[in-house]
Amino acid sequence: MIETLSHTLRNGMLVLLREVHNAPLATNWIWYRVGARYESPGITGISHWIEHMLFRGTPQIPGHDLDRLIARNGGTFNGFTAHDFTAYFETLPADRIDLALRIESDRMVNALFNEEEVEHERTVILAEREGHENDPEWWLNTAVMTTAFQVHPYRHEVIGSRDDLLALTRDHLITYYKTFYRPNNAVLVLVGDFDAHRLMSRVEHYFGDLPAGPPLPPIHWSEPEQQEERRVVVRRPGPAQYVQIVYHTADCRSPDFAPLLVLDAILSGAKSPAFSGGAQTNRSARLYRALVETRLAAYASSTFRPTRDPHLFEFHAMVQEGHTAEEVEQALLTEVAALQESGPRPDEMAKVIKQMRAQIAYARESVTNQALMIGMWEVLDRYDRADTLLDEIAAVQVEDVRRVAQMYLTERRRTVGYFLPL
Amino acid sequence: MNSFPPNRASTIATSLRCELPNGVVALVQRNAIAPTVSVYGEIRVGAANEPPEKNGLSAFTSAALIRGAGHRTFQEIVAITEAVGASVNAGGGMHSTGFAGRSLSEDVALILEILSDMVRAPAFPDEEIEQLRGQFLMALREDEQDTSVRASRALRSIMFPPAHPYSRLSRGTIETISTLTRDDLIQFHRLYHPAATTIAVVGDIDPAAVIALIERFFGDWQVPGTPPQVTLPDPLPMPDQRRIHIALDGKSQTDIIWAVHGLDRRSPDYYAASVANMILGQIGIGGRLGERVREKQGLAYYCGSSLDADLGAGPWTAMAGVNPAHVERAIDAIVHEIRQFAAEGPTEQELADARDFMTGRLAIGLETNDSIASTLLGIERYQLGLDYIERYPTIIYSIDRDQVVEVTRRYLDTDDYVIATAGPPEPSVS
Repeated sequence: MIETLSHTLRNGMLVLLREVHNAPLATNWIWYRVGARYESPGITGISHWIEHMLFRGTPQIPGHDLDRLIARNGGTFNGFTAHDFTAYFETLPADRIDLALRIESDRMVNALFNEEEVEHERTVILAEREGHENDPEWWLNTAVMTTAFQVHPYRHEVIGSRDDLLALTRDHLITYYKTFYRPNNAVLVLVGDFDAHRLMSRVEHYFGDLPAGPPLPPIHWSEPEQQEERRVVVRRPGPAQYVQIVYHTADCRSPDFAPLLVLDAILSGAKSPAFSGGAQTNRSARLYRALVETRLAAYASSTFRPTRDPHLFEFHAMVQEGHTAEEVEQALLTEVAALQESGPRPDEMAKVIKQMRAQIAYARESVTNQALMIGMWEVLDRYDRADTLLDEIAAVQVEDVRRVAQMYLTERRRTVGYFLPL
Repeated sequence: MNSFPPNRASTIATSLRCELPNGVVALVQRNAIAPTVSVYGEIRVGAANEPPEKNGLSAFTSAALIRGAGHRTFQEIVAITEAVGASVNAGGGMHSTGFAGRSLSEDVALILEILSDMVRAPAFPDEEIEQLRGQFLMALREDEQDTSVRASRALRSIMFPPAHPYSRLSRGTIETISTLTRDDLIQFHRLYHPAATTIAVVGDIDPAAVIALIERFFGDWQVPGTPPQVTLPDPLPMPDQRRIHIALDGKSQTDIIWAVHGLDRRSPDYYAASVANMILGQIGIGGRLGERVREKQGLAYYCGSSLDADLGAGPWTAMAGVNPAHVERAIDAIVHEIRQFAAEGPTEQELADARDFMTGRLAIGLETNDSIASTLLGIERYQLGLDYIERYPTIIYSIDRDQVVEVTRRYLDTDDYVIATAGPPEPSVS
């Protein structure tokens, strides 16, 4: 296993460094334990808005200098807001990585919330939301999430509700920023062509003196147990019918996590552990054969992701013309029933393990993706799971997959959504 | 000046280039970053080679390659590749047909064998063609309600005459895809020619062994005659500030595309235009356009520019996604920024930033197997030479301010532009 140097600064910030010397590059990721999961109704979208404001600069590095600085040094950078975390990264030629430490240590505490820029960003985010609204499947997903989750903030879109985006104020943003953006709520991950011990002293230089804040407010949400199947229909202009079926399942720390991940791979191929990329592995899998090859659906897939709190096992399909959402739903449920009845075949188990090994190897081609996997696992659970995930999957038995299919993919845990075009 | 990290430049410069007797060019590089390999290939035949009434034939033919080839059915191909976590695919662009695969390095022979079958011996079974047609038609129905696709289609139909392949999108239309026959696919596939084919393989592999595999799977591919050539008709003269709006129900955002005629990849203006485009609408979050239309005015979620320089001169565009109530303000702002850029040119700082970025980013652009392989294909496509990456910083740093100003004035500073918008029927109140 590749060695990771782990060190917690006096202010509580965890630092994880991994040397990889194949390319003259380094990547710097900072992960904050905050996201839409931490938002109550009234302030939905605030985590994502903060992410936008962190690109508007600080007194030392004004916003337009930020992207110029990265560009001038041949780098790339971005930010992501999810339910469970907010992350920022810079990937640069390795000899320029100091710049990333300077930017992130600065904007952790010095972000400007200029009144005028807050208003500009409100318009930009509303435009971003309107871009989502142009997509029929976005409407379906929104309806399914608010139906499946009735209490937990996983019910809210990360971008926030339109009403909240119109009502949030600069004061809300500043309070939220000061609460969650601090070293003791952050994880810093660097991977690349550097000497880890020497780099750690640079990290100390930039982050070591930042003050720790008081303990973070405890966040605990518990979704009440669903008592019966829920159904929701969205009718809007659109090109086709779409079906989304979701089941309440387990979080990434559950012993059932790995069997559920294997179940997903059996149904529609092993997915890349990074945010995107990897090999296409769905076309020999069960859902493609049962729904796409039979021309019931133009596509059909399953999804299961690691999350902090119990989330969902999902099915998505686009109904082929001449067929109906009901037929596609039936076909999906038939595939679920088959796995509950007989479990996967041994050759399918061998296949998905090799697929996962390959997907992890593809993701490791890039230092950016390596740091992503380490950081994401640390904020969800422990960073070393990025390296042990394959062992967890390899230990899953046929009977485990059958058991989790029987236990979680039940009518009682299910929400079914249709998008029907007007 | 950014000094280029030598071990990345050498990733390209030390690649093995081998031309087989039948004209297939193999480019192979070892990259031991992970136990993986990427295969990228292209045949220089694409939508530009299809007749207008069969728009989409190239894309459809390439998508059908996997659906039965050699002695294997589609399900056998995906079963054997996915069983080892590998994937193979093919797709058609405007001037080329691409085929690609990735696998763990231990499986590279399998990938090359299957790609060879797909390119050389596709079966085009009737049943699979109908299956694929259904998927194409559903995707095209989604396109019908996609604001950016609709704006792009409208724009191309104004800028190019019907006989010009750039007047269309290579994915075809519902009408043309509905009428394609198996015979059309067989005829189009006959245009695939070894002397128009390049294969790049990059990963944790032994280059000599991979060259031997390419010879084994592609060496005896023979096609009579010479590869097809394409002569592009002249584009249409640009009408004076033509506007077109595509109204779509149920949309919240309007996509705007502003366009003029650009230049081709081999134009002497290409590098100056690339630098100009970088400053105008790329660097950072969308260059000047992103900074002033998105960041300063808060008008759009995205705003930037794009230079489509291929074998022919594609459109040079600026684009934005905005609230329907802001369309006129956003268009005014885009036109204003382009005019101002043409009038005053870039600042010295902007020029320095663009040069540093374009040369410095090569290190990131050559990190993964996919990115190295696709760079190798591009170098072969435009005959740039394997020393291109080493020469590139000198090329970019030689572009001076006057050249950027000149190219901007010549191409962008004009009243003869087209604007296509697609979004809700009536401007709504923000």
